Amino acid sequence: MDFQLTQEQQMLKDSARRFLEDNCAFEARGSVIGNGGFDVGHWNTFAELGWLGMSLPEEYGGLGGSAIETALLMEEFGRVLCIEPYWAVAVLAAQTIVASGDQDKAGSILPALVAGEACPVVAHGEPDARGMLSYVTTSAVPAGPGNWTLKGNKSMVIGGNVADRFIVSARTSGAPSDQTGITLFLVDRSVPGVKLHDVRLIDNRWCADIDLADVQVAEADVLGTVGGGYAALDTGHAHATVGLCAEAVGVMEKALWITRDYLKTRKQFGVTLSSFQALQHRMSEMLIELELSRGMVHKALSTMNASPEVRQLALSAAKVHVGRSGKFVCGQSIQLHGGIGVTEEYVIGHHFKRMTTIEYALGSSHFHLEQLAAMERKRVA
Amino acid sequence: MNFDIDPADVAFREEVRAFLRESLPADIAERNKRGFHFLRDDMREWTKILNRKGWSGPNWPSEWGGPGWSPVRQFIFEDECFMAGAPWIDTAGFKMIGPVIMSFGSEEMKREFGPRILNGDVFWGQGFSEPNAGSDLGSLTTRAVREGDEYVINGRKIWTSYVESADVIFMLVKTDPEAKQRGISMLLVDKNAPGITIRPIIDIGEGYSLNEVFFDDVRTPVKYLVGEEGKGWSYAKHLLDLERAFSAEWPRNKRNLEQLRAMAGRARAGGERLIDSPGFAARLAQLDVDLQALEWLTLRALYERKGGNTLPVGSLLKVRGSELLQKIGEMQVEALGDYGAYFYDDPHATPAGDMNWPPGPDYAPGVVADYMYRRATTVYGGANEVQRTIIARSFLEL
Repeated sequence: MDFQLTQEQQMLKDSARRFLEDNCAFEARGSVIGNGGFDVGHWNTFAELGWLGMSLPEEYGGLGGSAIETALLMEEFGRVLCIEPYWAVAVLAAQTIVASGDQDKAGSILPALVAGEACPVVAHGEPDARGMLSYVTTSAVPAGPGNWTLKGNKSMVIGGNVADRFIVSARTSGAPSDQTGITLFLVDRSVPGVKLHDVRLIDNRWCADIDLADVQVAEADVLGTVGGGYAALDTGHAHATVGLCAEAVGVMEKALWITRDYLKTRKQFGVTLSSFQALQHRMSEMLIELELSRGMVHKALSTMNASPEVRQLALSAAKVHVGRSGKFVCGQSIQLHGGIGVTEEYVIGHHFKRMTTIEYALGSSHFHLEQLAAMERKRVA
Repeated sequence: MNFDIDPADVAFREEVRAFLRESLPADIAERNKRGFHFLRDDMREWTKILNRKGWSGPNWPSEWGGPGWSPVRQFIFEDECFMAGAPWIDTAGFKMIGPVIMSFGSEEMKREFGPRILNGDVFWGQGFSEPNAGSDLGSLTTRAVREGDEYVINGRKIWTSYVESADVIFMLVKTDPEAKQRGISMLLVDKNAPGITIRPIIDIGEGYSLNEVFFDDVRTPVKYLVGEEGKGWSYAKHLLDLERAFSAEWPRNKRNLEQLRAMAGRARAGGERLIDSPGFAARLAQLDVDLQALEWLTLRALYERKGGNTLPVGSLLKVRGSELLQKIGEMQVEALGDYGAYFYDDPHATPAGDMNWPPGPDYAPGVVADYMYRRATTVYGGANEVQRTIIARSFLEL
């Protein structure tokens, strides 16, 4: 084990911080938000810097990095509250495509994704799933040889407003929560029957709510194998979850230092707020929560090549910890700022908003704690 | 960054396990899996067994006669030993005064004490705290005045663990009453020296490991001054720093949580297993998440290279590790149900094998005693409030 960054990792982290602080900082977000959370110039730079293929195999034009590189980048995105759909495209979609084992499609899509020319996102979540990855009610019904008709609703598809195509999960057999019988289809955004509803989220990222009304897809649109989509989704979501937790660490860490600086400048009762021990201790607690969360990201990263069961336990545990810590750190950041903390204009409330959406994405803390509790019941059997 | 475990460390863990299977006496393991204080004789016997293997000073480098393990291997060793039911080796000797003597003591002092510590032949009492100087060691008032070849000590120490069965006390004294921290020196004192009076303090678990010690014109030779006069404070800080990665009390937390898990499977609530009652498993799972986070922050501290991060990891781990011990203890007591209120005598109070415990499950004795005693964890070793102040000042620069 080695917790120290390699020289390459340190360079990646430094250059990401520099670019993001100079170009994607909170103050500069206004116009990007107005453009659906996407700036072509930024995206092209992400591609040029190699970020879009950072953790993808070299055979697909990637740089061959691991989830660790993803985590390093996501932490930096978190610090500036970046709203662009890097995570949705370069992590969730890209890793799901790799994990599908469909080399032909990976070979045709991923090099374009790495170059910033293709923009696929995963359309998997449904309103009632609430974190349960196998919950799919969207149906794919056979419509003649080799053809299917998709019907259903996909919610909060991050980056879906700007995506050029969707990796849609649909049930080709089985009951809603079965892991078998889920098939992934590549669906172009312009295919008839795809109805997109663009939505701005509370943290100013954008997503699409998608209605699939009798969308016709063919054999050639299947990603991976019919009925075998779950494993790909599971791996794609594993990368996405650890990335999201790393992002949360960035969100928390920046909130902590912004608050620290505020306490050192703001005066009340004739002294700076930083001189009150009650507030010092609160800040120490925030730091403890932050660093323990970072520990959970490390642990999750250490299991990325383990069995799906082991990996999932570590990811759930990380999600639980990050959820609690994030609410505490960002909530207390508002509290320590006083009134200005609750204004839309000031940055700290936006850290809280981002943490709120992270908490409920990919299964809430409560959901994941229930999974761990079920495991505990089995464990003592 | 690279989170792959070194296969050599995995093999080392197996080696330790195999050794424990062969060498840890069953009766010692049985006694020490309970939450009562360790028996001094068990500690002594175990230290001798370890010493025959060359493993008795896990944190000692080879030039001091230790195995020279990396911090990671020390961590693995402690983990495995504690899970197997081995008692601690004498913390005061191996982790506190031993390394200080080896780093700052005279050659004579090293020769006199090094081998005896390794073989469990000398046990130590640690005399830092005073009634008016708990976490604030700068306010010590116990005085040592040099008279010829001796120091004459007057004052009072408190919370000195296991001093009743110690051979030597190492203590911080004021040699210069004018200077605050610079006036502090470290002295070794024969526990049986004339003028020492020991008053036992019984903790709220009705266990006995703490004492108040009175020094009335107690004499100790000048050769028992550790290092230089006036440097005691920096030696004390040195020994506290050595312990930073271990301050999460990881093995104890881990074992207590495993015990809680086992209890939750055996205890019944309304006819069902306690683990199946709504909420219990989730709360248990939450503690497990906290334990994992503590483990990974500990690992980070262990692998951290010198000169890297200035994060006060020891303070972070101390705060959360001690809180977690209390939370796990709380759920253990809850899991006992009615038996959580029954009083189970400490084996120290009765000859071994003669326990007349009240009814209750076999895992009950020792649980509440430990829970009660561990209220001290957020107090000792620098109270958690002091740790939070250290974090705020040193790292957050508040």
